[in-house]
Amino acid sequence: MPTPWRRSTALATLSVLALGALAACGSGSDSEASAKGSTTAKGGASQVAITLASGANGDECTADTTSVPAGPVTFTVTNKSATGITEFELLDGQRIVGEKENLAPGLPAVRFTLTLGGGNYELYCPNAATEKSPFTVTGEASASPTGSAAQVLAQGTKDYSSYVDLQVDNMVTAVQNLQKAVDSGDVAAAQKAYAEARPFYEKIESDVEGFVLPGFDATDNHGNLDYLIDMRASNLDPAVGWHGFHAVERDVFGAKKITASTKKLAAELTTNVTKLAKVAKGLTFKPEDLANGAAGLLEEVQANKISGEEEAFSHIDLVDFANNVEGAQQAFEALRPGLTEIDPALTKTISKRFAAVTTLLENYKDPKALGGYRTYTPALKKSDANVLSQTVQALQDPLGRLAEKVATA
Amino acid sequence: MTDTPQAKGLSRRRLFAGAGAAGVALGAAAGFAGGRASAEPAGGADDADTVDLSRSHEFYTGSHQAGIETEPQRHCVYMTFDLTTTSVQDLQVLLARWSAGIAQMMAGRPVGTVDPDRSSAVPQDTGEAYDLGPSSLTVTVGLGPGVFDHRFGLAAKRPKLLADLPTLPSDVLKPELTGGDLSLQACADDPQVAYHAIRDLARMGRGTVNTRWTVMGFGRASAGKGQSTPRNLMGFKDGTRNIREPEDFDRYVWVGHDSEPVWMRGGTYQVARKIRMDIEIWDSSDRGTQEGIFGRSKGAGGPLSGGSEFTTPDFHKMVAGKPAIPAKSHVALAAHENNGGIKILRRSYNFTDGINELGQLDAGLLFIAYQNDPGHFVTLQRRLGSADLLNEYISHIGSGIFAVPPAPKPGHYLAEGLFA
Repeated sequence: MPTPWRRSTALATLSVLALGALAACGSGSDSEASAKGSTTAKGGASQVAITLASGANGDECTADTTSVPAGPVTFTVTNKSATGITEFELLDGQRIVGEKENLAPGLPAVRFTLTLGGGNYELYCPNAATEKSPFTVTGEASASPTGSAAQVLAQGTKDYSSYVDLQVDNMVTAVQNLQKAVDSGDVAAAQKAYAEARPFYEKIESDVEGFVLPGFDATDNHGNLDYLIDMRASNLDPAVGWHGFHAVERDVFGAKKITASTKKLAAELTTNVTKLAKVAKGLTFKPEDLANGAAGLLEEVQANKISGEEEAFSHIDLVDFANNVEGAQQAFEALRPGLTEIDPALTKTISKRFAAVTTLLENYKDPKALGGYRTYTPALKKSDANVLSQTVQALQDPLGRLAEKVATA
Repeated sequence: MTDTPQAKGLSRRRLFAGAGAAGVALGAAAGFAGGRASAEPAGGADDADTVDLSRSHEFYTGSHQAGIETEPQRHCVYMTFDLTTTSVQDLQVLLARWSAGIAQMMAGRPVGTVDPDRSSAVPQDTGEAYDLGPSSLTVTVGLGPGVFDHRFGLAAKRPKLLADLPTLPSDVLKPELTGGDLSLQACADDPQVAYHAIRDLARMGRGTVNTRWTVMGFGRASAGKGQSTPRNLMGFKDGTRNIREPEDFDRYVWVGHDSEPVWMRGGTYQVARKIRMDIEIWDSSDRGTQEGIFGRSKGAGGPLSGGSEFTTPDFHKMVAGKPAIPAKSHVALAAHENNGGIKILRRSYNFTDGINELGQLDAGLLFIAYQNDPGHFVTLQRRLGSADLLNEYISHIGSGIFAVPPAPKPGHYLAEGLFA
């Protein structure tokens, strides 16, 4: 049983060690940072106390010192009575170097330790009467320059690129298999191959969304690869007609018949997926692209999978759901080492919420079902959509805030 | 209570009886788009029935939560939540963040930036109440029995009288409209202000709570001190004999200093019932039938034993060998004279859910009662549920019970004592 935070202890005991221990059994928001702080504190981490309080002109955010020497710096943030301020950030230009969230009057003080190099920073308290104030670090950094989080994030984007490449290769192979099954005329085999081909696209769809082939106008769906590969019946462009996965799905799951037209659709899908693969392999990502992509995948889950609109004939929506989530989680994991340095609390929250979603999804696994997940029937939707939707939304909210934290632009 | 009009130094009567320009200037000075709307045109509406959108109530009273004794505002959104976390710290942080957020919104301020500097930032406040003023918003937080179950280690701190309501006569409760671990009652004179509060608090809670059930109430169906008695959707004045005086609040509503844990003192218990009305059937019944069911006249609202609205009903008065007020009328069954002196505070709102699957108007009463002993509600509802002539026209379809802690002092948060 976790114990609640106790403010009285926190305020009475200002020793770094005691605070660190308290934080470790607290929200976890401070655990990494504080643990680091507590080991270096005796070596002399500079201490900065940030106090949030309501004043004559609104909520005020004040620091007891505005200049510290380079090296480890511990910020202790106490919200005494500022109801309008819920977070505190340290900024280096536009970049967030460190931050604390979920601040509210009455809660115990929270703290985090950063190793800062010399330079001009800003203390940022969104919604305070004076939101930004200068903060100076003198001298050179002793270790870990402040650029480290950005470097770690950049490495993460490279790792993520490799993941995308792998999915793209697998997607091409799986779609070729689908084409073979369709060409054989075996409906059951085509259904199976369809369910096996879907996951790869679903994992990376937010990265390739809206890609337009060279020479086509942005509004012309003839050149929109995403349209040609993944369009559903509900959003068809009559000028272009129905192509791609879901047109094949209609034939092999809806009509349960393979015609010459089905074969043509499957061949065309292979062609388009191959084109997409070439494009996707050339993509490079910025950290915010990963963040936005992950959030985009969850929007997909919420808008099209939980509603059961995506797989209207095969009802393998939960397969798509699981793979959207996996794709989002991969993007997040790539950002995680850098994000942990910037905002350990948000990192932990997102990890926890991903775990909640994947644990929930475990309940729907069915090795006998197409794609490995239970068929998303109207009855299952009626009984389970509520909990699925609310659990995903609880992840989507913090994930939606990720781009801001890791933005390098 | 420390409910104070925002505009200091001018009585509300003067403010609104005076030139419109004065009101506008004051609203502007307070930083809000001042707005006014006049209330019931007839019946000698007093100034308490004038809506002043720049008015605000105080959250950090250190005594009772607002939204109970507060004169009922025009609109109310009620929502309950299930805790999905098993971490007591999550609950603690939620109550602290809700407290700060509620304080902000009751003062007419956003709960965070509406338009953040960075374009990649998600706005913290959803923004739809940005220019609307406080509109007398109150948000009242309740803790359901589930807060004190095995999940959070708080069982030893359970308020003594907090338990699920027993099954009551005529209950037709739907599970999806019943229960909840936390409740929020957001009332305001502008419906968008009330909705914004619920929306942003629900958003703050995501990951810690799931939404459970909600009722969007329009039109107050209870009066506070100084307000004229409003009508429910059956067209009758509702709440004529409601609790109004501070001494009655102390006696019947507020949890006293002897019986409950310290953190609950000055709190109360909230019972919420979603009551559906068979509107079409009621509308086809004649006046005499309707009056016999309520025990009051339809127009002026006086008791059938005679007199005006506020005349004390005479339950012994006989007319032609029968009681003037039928024994099974709503007034007779609910009266404190006939229930060992029990009184509860009613703070109800009319609601509609549109049209039901049969094409009927789907509407009724969001009944909210506050009392220092939920047993008082149970006693009254046992009588009403088994005998009330009104039962032919209504069904209780939703229900919830919550302990309502007192309001925190500045620098603190709701139910902080639970975590000490």
